[in-house]
This record gives sequence, structure tokens and C-alpha cells, in this order.
Amino acid sequence: MTARPPPARPHIAINPTTSFASRATSDWGEDDAWDSASDSESPKQSTISFTRPAPSAPRPVPRSISSSSSSTLAFSYTHISAPNPSSYPPRGEVLPEEPSQQAVPNGKNGWTLVRKSHDRTGSQNADAEKPQEANAQQDGDIEGDMILGDLDTEPVPDIALADPHQSRSRADKGTIRPDAEEIYRDPLYGIRQRPPPRRPGLSSVPSIQNRPHIKAEVLPSNDKSEKLMRERSIKTNRRHKFIECLTGQDVNIGELRKLAWAGIPEDLRPVAWQLLLGYLPLPAPHRKTTLERKRGEYKSLVELAFARDREGLDQQIWHQIEIDVPRTRPGVRLWMHATTQRSLERILYVWAIRHPASGYVQGINDLVTPFFQVFLSAYIDSDPEMFDPALLPQHVLDAIEADSFWCLSRLLDGIQDNYIFAQPGIQRSVKRMAELVKRIDAPLAAHLDSQNVEFMQFAFRWMNCLLMREISVQNTIRMWDTYLAEGPDAFSQFHLYVCSAFLVKWSEKLRQMDFQGIIMFLQSLPTQGWGDHEIEMLLSEAFVLNSIWQNAQSHFGK
Amino acid sequence: MWEHSKTRNSTWKASSKSASSLKPLLIPSPPPLSSSFSFYTVRRNHPRSAYMTEGSNYDFLFKVVLIGDSGVGKSNLLSRFTRNEFNLESKSTIGVEFATRSINVDGKTVKAQIWDTAGQERYRAITSAYYRGAVGALLVYDIAKHATYVNVTRWLKELRDHADSNIVIMLVGNKSDLKHLRAVPTDEAKAFSTENGLSFIETSALDASNVEAAFQNILTDIYRIVSSKSLEQSADPIKPPTDTLNVSPSVEPTNNQGGKCC
Repeated sequence: MTARPPPARPHIAINPTTSFASRATSDWGEDDAWDSASDSESPKQSTISFTRPAPSAPRPVPRSISSSSSSTLAFSYTHISAPNPSSYPPRGEVLPEEPSQQAVPNGKNGWTLVRKSHDRTGSQNADAEKPQEANAQQDGDIEGDMILGDLDTEPVPDIALADPHQSRSRADKGTIRPDAEEIYRDPLYGIRQRPPPRRPGLSSVPSIQNRPHIKAEVLPSNDKSEKLMRERSIKTNRRHKFIECLTGQDVNIGELRKLAWAGIPEDLRPVAWQLLLGYLPLPAPHRKTTLERKRGEYKSLVELAFARDREGLDQQIWHQIEIDVPRTRPGVRLWMHATTQRSLERILYVWAIRHPASGYVQGINDLVTPFFQVFLSAYIDSDPEMFDPALLPQHVLDAIEADSFWCLSRLLDGIQDNYIFAQPGIQRSVKRMAELVKRIDAPLAAHLDSQNVEFMQFAFRWMNCLLMREISVQNTIRMWDTYLAEGPDAFSQFHLYVCSAFLVKWSEKLRQMDFQGIIMFLQSLPTQGWGDHEIEMLLSEAFVLNSIWQNAQSHFGK
Repeated sequence: MWEHSKTRNSTWKASSKSASSLKPLLIPSPPPLSSSFSFYTVRRNHPRSAYMTEGSNYDFLFKVVLIGDSGVGKSNLLSRFTRNEFNLESKSTIGVEFATRSINVDGKTVKAQIWDTAGQERYRAITSAYYRGAVGALLVYDIAKHATYVNVTRWLKELRDHADSNIVIMLVGNKSDLKHLRAVPTDEAKAFSTENGLSFIETSALDASNVEAAFQNILTDIYRIVSSKSLEQSADPIKPPTDTLNVSPSVEPTNNQGGKCC
């Protein structure tokens, strides 16, 4: 690993260097994301046709019970089973084609079921019962002390939707932005068109994240309003810099990294992530054609992968994906909709068959969700987690899916050996983490050792799912701002320092627990109330560790 | 393949009877903590009681693993047994998860330390490390998915390769509430179990039927073997379980788990 000067971080006064401006996006490596045109066997349809709102219909994803065989459906491939339009269907109704699993919740009376939308077993935090509530609670934490990464977005226009196609959308299912069509063609459209943020809190609020400001504004104490004013001016300032950076003809990636390290404003995140990942080209003139090409490429990959019947699929991979897709963010509306689940299936399956050394590994499904939600958020004015993507025009949905696929591919390129046979990447990371913790918190390491706790017993999952089972998706998204700003190694290298800092955070508690207590505690950590502030503290600690230890690897272990 | 596997696994028949090396895996308790961990130095003098996990008082501590194909309901069996919870919206298990519960057998408190493993093949290298030191295994399949039953033979091979040869195995047909979707006849599974020296039960984590019985049965079986053994010879209880096991080549990458990894 080569040494390089880091970008400036919050909490740490390090002078930003100019050298990282030279770090082009090619840092991410020329993976198959760019040469994949060569593996598409059929020549791609003209890019013109793809930009039109009604693309030709690809084949449906084969389902076990779907009897459509190989006929090309006239409608889109995402509508194999349409979600119940009236209300959010319980899980049993979303996927009627899997009777053995889906029949469970239906028709049985008198059973005691515990429905929990939180996966942390034994969670004592009742607030986490519903994702919405969890979000609301985070807002409470954000209020008052969160400066970065929570920038005000524009109010929702009252005007209805531009397209009659979208008139189905209702308040309970989400609202599509009127300029979704323009954003589809030009990801920066929305940013350019939007005026700088006005006084927040006056309008209906598009995103939950903004609600605390309303609350704060209703009853401002003097101190509070002063603090808010200060925060707001910092935010506005940062936002201006961001927009300036993003709307340049040739984005300065160094500048973008520096800004992104401290958190990306919600509405700028979709574009910023795609630029940081090297998916979207830095020079503005290239973007349109690249996007068209990549989205078209993905579409043909999907067509190719699902060209034959269900029997034509790799059975082992498909079987595992079928089991895991309904278990991806269970209880969150967006992910329970059939449309989203079909998209997820395609993304996972196409990635898996293109990476035979790993194939699909459980946990990769989790890694798709931040991309999908963030990219979806560009086109809508409501909470992505409550949104029914069936409301989107087909080509917009296809674009979100394609963008998610390519960005997932880029992320996974850096951590592929986490998922190949025997998972050597994870073995190595866990080992290094154990060595590092021994150095930075010897009493904790000694205690874990004395209790016979092995790092593998808890940290395996931390590496395998990039902490997504330990923190919320909102937390993860904020964390990835920094990871993406750190560069291509972050998901394997920087992550190790984040995990170490994360463990040491609980040191005092852990040192008073026995084996069982430690394992149980680490299995369901009390991070439910975490907001951006906690994540940023963690990232700062990880940064310090990284600066101290990264180039001193000979000091620990091997 | 099915027939072939059957014969290959016939060696399991008598295995649970000769609990010769089961002894080192048994950790008798009182006084609770000091006994199970007495071979490690406790370097701190914090008051530990505040964070001490309940159920530290037990007479026997048994390590049990839950194995079987992905999606058969292992995690829900565990949560039903340890917390009386069933979660329709559970996520997949990554690596292993841990839970514990104490039950009463013949007036003795038996504490089960249960490791719930991920079902996907890719995790085998990680999860098989947890077979070491296990005195019991619940091998779970889904009565509504025949493929998960066919794979039982592969799981038995996994155990034979990585676990102690005297491990007590119980075959568990889960999701017995899905009567209309049954794909594995009870008699067939029962016959297979008898043939291979396994105990057998059908459960439903969803409606809770037989879950308690499944764990009660396997823990009682283990207890019987262990206590009859205790009468014969005096206990040599504290011994790292890893000593008794062969580590096969496929666990090689995880061998830093062998207790002292750093």
C-alpha cells in the first residue's frame, strides 16, 4: 500500500494538500465496469433508443412459478408481480410466488408472532421497533449538534407531477420530482436548477432529516437560535462550495474528496458518489454518453443473463438470491415492494455470474441498499424508504438499477477477496484488527483474551457486511461519504481502522463483561440512536488510527 | 448419491454411545465463573457483577451448534428457544450468532451455549471452526423443501470432518406448520435418522411446537452420556476443547481461531 497524504478531515487540523488532486478516479482501477462492452454479445441498441422514455421490453426475471416461459412480455420486466396498489401489503402478499415461505403469515390464527423490524436480536431499545421511529429518533439526536452532512434541501413544490403516468402517486407512496425526466438525462440538472437553500423550515419538508429544524424554529431559545444560525451559515457555505465543485466543467476530484470526507449534502449525494466512484466521468461533456452507454450495457447484461428459462440460470446462485432478497431490509417498505425486489435480484444475479470466483455471498445484498436508496432519492421528493418504485417511469427505474449495479461493482472490486473461497480478505482484516487493538487498547485486548473471546466471533460480520448489521442505513450512507472520499482502498483498509475504533468505543463496558456478555453485547450493539455525529466521531478516530498505524505496519504483527 | 451417502454415514450409528472423548468438552460449574475460566488470568479488579450475564449458575455447560441449509429456520428456532420469539422479518445470519439458555435436567441446571451458523456454502470455512468443542448439533432442514433434506447427508459429512466424533446429533424437520406444503414425509426422515444413529423431531419455530422438546431432548441426551461417564471416572474438566479435535485442511485459514490468535 502506498502512502499518500490524506484529505482534510473534520475535527483534525491537517492542511489539505494539493497532491491528492492528482489522484484521478482511475484509482479505482480499470475493472470490468469499463470494458464490459466487450462481453455483451448482442450489439447494444442505439443509445438514442435508450434515452427515450419507453425502452423495449427486456425479458422477465424467471420465477419458479411464473408460467410466462420464454415469451417476451409486453410490459416491463419489473412487473412480474405487481404490488398491491391500495396499501402496503404484508410480506406474505408481496411475493405470492413463494408459497412455502409466504404462506406462513397467512391464514394461521392464534399464533404468537413477534414482528420486529430491527434485526438486532435482544435489542432493548423499543424505539427501534419501526424504521420510521428509528429515523425520527435519530433526528432528535441530530438536532442541535449536527453540522455536517445535513444540508437543507428545497421545499417540495406543490404542483403535481409533470407526467400523467405518475398521477398514481399518493402521499403514502411517495412523490416523484417534477424534473425526474431531466435528472435522468443529466444528474446535475436538479442541482443547477435549484436556487441556493432558502430559509429552512417554512415549507413542507421533503426529507425527515430536515424536521428537527422545524421543531427548533418553533421554539428557539436565544442560544439555540444563535447556534442554528451559525450552523446554517456553515452549511450554506459548504453547500456553495459543493455546488461549485460539482457543476464545474471538469470536476476537481481532489476538491470533491476533500469536501465529501466531511459528509455530502443529501441532494448532492447521488452525483457526488457516482463521481467519486469513477462511474460518472469528471469532465461534464462525457457524462451523457457514458451514462447512456453504461445503462444500456447493464440492460443487455440483464437480457443475456435471463435470456433463457429459469433452468438456464445458475441454480445455486439463483437459489441463494431468491432466499435472501425477501430478507433484505425486511420491514422497510421500499424493500418489501415487488418492484424493488426484482431489481435487487437482477443486480445480485448479474454481478454474481460475472464474478464466478465469489458468486453471490450473503451480505452483498445489504451492500446494494445504500446505492439504490441514494440513487432513488435523486428522482423523488419523499422518503426513499417509504417509496414504491413501481410509481417511477420504467426507464428511470432501469437507470437507478443500472447505476446501482455499476457502483456496487466498483465497491466490490476493492473487497473481492472478502467473498472468494475461505474469505481470505476477511481473515486478514480480522487478524490485523486484533493486532491493532492489542496496540491501541491493551487492557481490552487482554480482557478479551482472558475471556477466550476471539475477534473472528464478532468482527467477521463487521467485515463481511461493512458494519451494515451494526449501524443503520442512514449511518452507513454517511460513512460511505467518507469511505468514497478516502479512495478505492477504504472499504478494505480504512474500514479496518473504523472497526477498531468501533470496538474500542465500548472498551469500558466490555472489560466488565464475561465471555457470554461480551459476545451477546457485540451481537446487538446499542447504536439505534446513532446519528451523523456519532459516525463522524468514529470516522475521526479511525482517521487518527489510520495516520498513526497505516505506514507502520511492521510495528504490529506481520 | 443419496444411497451412497447413507452408507457412508452409517458410521454415525453407534457413535453417540461411546462418549469416550466427550469428557473434556464438559465444563461442570460451581462456582460458576471461576471454574469455566479459571485457566485464564483475570487481570482486572472491576466489580464484575453489574455486567455479569444472568444464568451464570449452572451445573453443566454444553456447547451446541445449529446447522443446516440456508433459510430452513435455524435462527428462529434459536430465538424461539432462548427468547420465545419468532421473527418473520429476520435477516440472514452472517457467520455465526450466539445465544444461551439454561434448562433443568434431573434436577441439574444445564446451560446450553448455542452457536447458530450461516447456511451458505461460502461460510463453511468460518462456521466449521465452531464445530470444535460442540457436544451437540441440531441439523435442521425444512419439511417443505425437499432439497434441504437431501443436503442433510452433506451436513453429516461436514460434522464428521470437523466435529468431535462423539457429538450428539439431532435431525430437526422445521416448519411443521406448513402441512399443506410438506415435501418430506415424517416416516422417511425418521427412518433415515434411525439408520444413521440420529435422534429426530419435527418442529415449528413459528407456532412453537416441539421447539422446547427438541432442545430438551438433545440436552438430556448429552447430559445422560456425560453424567454416566462422570460416574466411571473422575472428571478432568478443564481442558481446552481444541485439544481433542483434528483440524482438517479446509479450516486452515481460520486456524488463528484456535484460542490464542495473537
